Amino acid sequence: MAERWHDEPWARDIWWSGKTTRRRFLGLSAAAGALGATMLVPPPWREAFGQAKPYKIGTMQPLSGAAAAGGKTALVGTQLAVDRINRAGGINGRPVELIIADYESKPDVGRRKAEKLLVEDKIDAHEGGFLSNVCLACMPVFEEHKVVNMIGVCLDTTMTTSKCSRYTFRPFDYAPAQAVAFAPYLIGKMGKKWHIAYADYAWGQSTRDAYADQIKKAGGEVVATTGIPLGTADMTAFLSKITGNFDGLFGIFFGKDGVTIGNQAFDLGLTKKYKWAGDGAIAESTNLPALGNKIEGFVGINRYVPVLDPPLNTSSHKKFFEEAIARLKQIDPSGPLPDRYVQANFEAMNALKVGIQKAGFRGREDTMKLIEALEGLEMKESDDFPQGDKTLRKEDHQAFIREFIFEIKGGKHRIVEVVPKEKTMFPPACTFPKA
Amino acid sequence: MPFDQILIQLINGIVSGMILALVASGLTLIFGIMDVVNFAHGELFMLGAYAGVTILAATGNFWVALLAACVIIALLGAALQVVALRPLVGRDPLTTILATFGISLVLQNYALWQFGPVARKIQEPFTGHFRLFYLEYPWYRILIAVLSAAIIGMLWLFMKYGKYGIWIRATTQDRIMASAMGIPVPLVHTAVFAIGAAMAAASGVLFGPLVGVNHAMGLDVILRAFIVVVVGGMGNLGGSILAAIFISLLEALASIWVSPAQAVIVSFVVLILTLLFRPTGLFVPTPK
Repeated sequence: MAERWHDEPWARDIWWSGKTTRRRFLGLSAAAGALGATMLVPPPWREAFGQAKPYKIGTMQPLSGAAAAGGKTALVGTQLAVDRINRAGGINGRPVELIIADYESKPDVGRRKAEKLLVEDKIDAHEGGFLSNVCLACMPVFEEHKVVNMIGVCLDTTMTTSKCSRYTFRPFDYAPAQAVAFAPYLIGKMGKKWHIAYADYAWGQSTRDAYADQIKKAGGEVVATTGIPLGTADMTAFLSKITGNFDGLFGIFFGKDGVTIGNQAFDLGLTKKYKWAGDGAIAESTNLPALGNKIEGFVGINRYVPVLDPPLNTSSHKKFFEEAIARLKQIDPSGPLPDRYVQANFEAMNALKVGIQKAGFRGREDTMKLIEALEGLEMKESDDFPQGDKTLRKEDHQAFIREFIFEIKGGKHRIVEVVPKEKTMFPPACTFPKA
Repeated sequence: MPFDQILIQLINGIVSGMILALVASGLTLIFGIMDVVNFAHGELFMLGAYAGVTILAATGNFWVALLAACVIIALLGAALQVVALRPLVGRDPLTTILATFGISLVLQNYALWQFGPVARKIQEPFTGHFRLFYLEYPWYRILIAVLSAAIIGMLWLFMKYGKYGIWIRATTQDRIMASAMGIPVPLVHTAVFAIGAAMAAASGVLFGPLVGVNHAMGLDVILRAFIVVVVGGMGNLGGSILAAIFISLLEALASIWVSPAQAVIVSFVVLILTLLFRPTGLFVPTPK
């Protein structure tokens, strides 16, 4: 037996020998031609819009790497909105062309891809972003090129406070607003003393600070905090340290870390010994299958819960819910329910649409008009915004929306309280850098 | 001195160390015999867990799922070795690093495409707990440590006394001489890769109930496994096991006094010190 596989007689025909035969050349040419021909086929929306110049909207998502699972569902929300916009005649009679960039869950790649979208693809605006550290890394790039950046998922507080930008908008909630909405419930109905366990990176730290502040304001106390590095597969050694005299354990995790803490905190008996609450990202619909009955009784807050109970029993929400499920089934055979990543990207793209319509935006030259149209934008519950009414505050480009406090019961979300957007308000803390 | 915390962290360290040792022993076995740094090992761990999920759903039996996942991933490992690594034998080691890195990306994205973004669950075979000071400690974690030790022990016995184990050791010592003595070296390489892959699959299925199964689960484990392999001595099976327990114990004990972010640095500090002062590994003698 030959040690090198391609030295064996049977392999000589299939292992490239360095010779290019006429047959091989013709075969490769035909394959390349066929590939080229498919690339010339216009996208399906093209026919309906004739020669109308499309709006080029870029969307950056982590479609590979550690955060790809979240990025895939986030992209579903964006695509759902773009398809719906194009089916309804586009924006100002022009179609939307979505240019997708995968930043591989890495901030450096994110910056590079943002540059490419802006310089080579010449996008008119951007909608998307998933990981807070990547959003933070890319915000200065959008500012430098003077292009509107409508965030789809990133939750780090500083993006609309100390690091705010005139070009960046967040059309959904942030940790201080969630904490304002949730703290009275935590203190009034669950317990006064809390231990916070959080994902030790930008979003987790800013969310921890927001909850520590609001729990104190509501008359409670945070007795200790435990920060666990992002992507820690075995948290048991760190969770084993959590003990003492307090009422509840509050978790701030997302994605696979949410699954890990849900499983391992239960395994150590922490969720039985203490009240178990936290950010809704722990119990997203996409995490529930991996948590099974270990997440039973968890109380969380989220801007979106996949239920058709009041006040989410509207026709707008039913429509979004059904379309999202059908779309998600295409990327996951288990047929997950939509999560807040699908919802927020869907509504962020629609917020951009409404702004473009209002401003009469033609392209990058009208960026300032678009910014002015988006500042203070009131969005009413509708097919564009099935989650509910929202206000995009002028002072910091931060939206305020209603929040849902929920409990996991029988493996499903059950709304226990709805907090109206007026009761989630938090003062602005942003000074836009001068242009 | 918080005695209860020290005892709890000793148990945590040993349990985590045994899980890590199982992953790392497959990695070090492949390197020791084939000189291949297998960057796709984390993905074999992940695919093993997915195979476990699928078989568990079909059969409802955890043990059948564990065994079948090992067999399936061993076959996949053998196929990967024949198709992607065997043609690279004798070439620059960098080519095998690039090849396995490429395989890891392909497998990771395949899993995302095939199984979707929703994390899956492997239900542990039993859910009992025992009282450990202020904690309810799961018996399942103890079981993982015992099973990991048993699997590694069986591998050691096979290598020490089995006919084919002797073939493997002969191939490690002198590939040319082993070939001259009639040992089918390419087949031995394929078998070793398959055994390493099966060990990765076993650890994936055993670890799955603790973390949920997703396409990126290998990423979190493999970095620590590489550290263990380097600290234990590249290709040194016993060294890797000792290094896995040593590093996990250090991390667990450090977490009593420092924050988790500082505790995880311990393994990197050990890695750097090892490379500086005992580059061949902590548990093998430094050549004079």
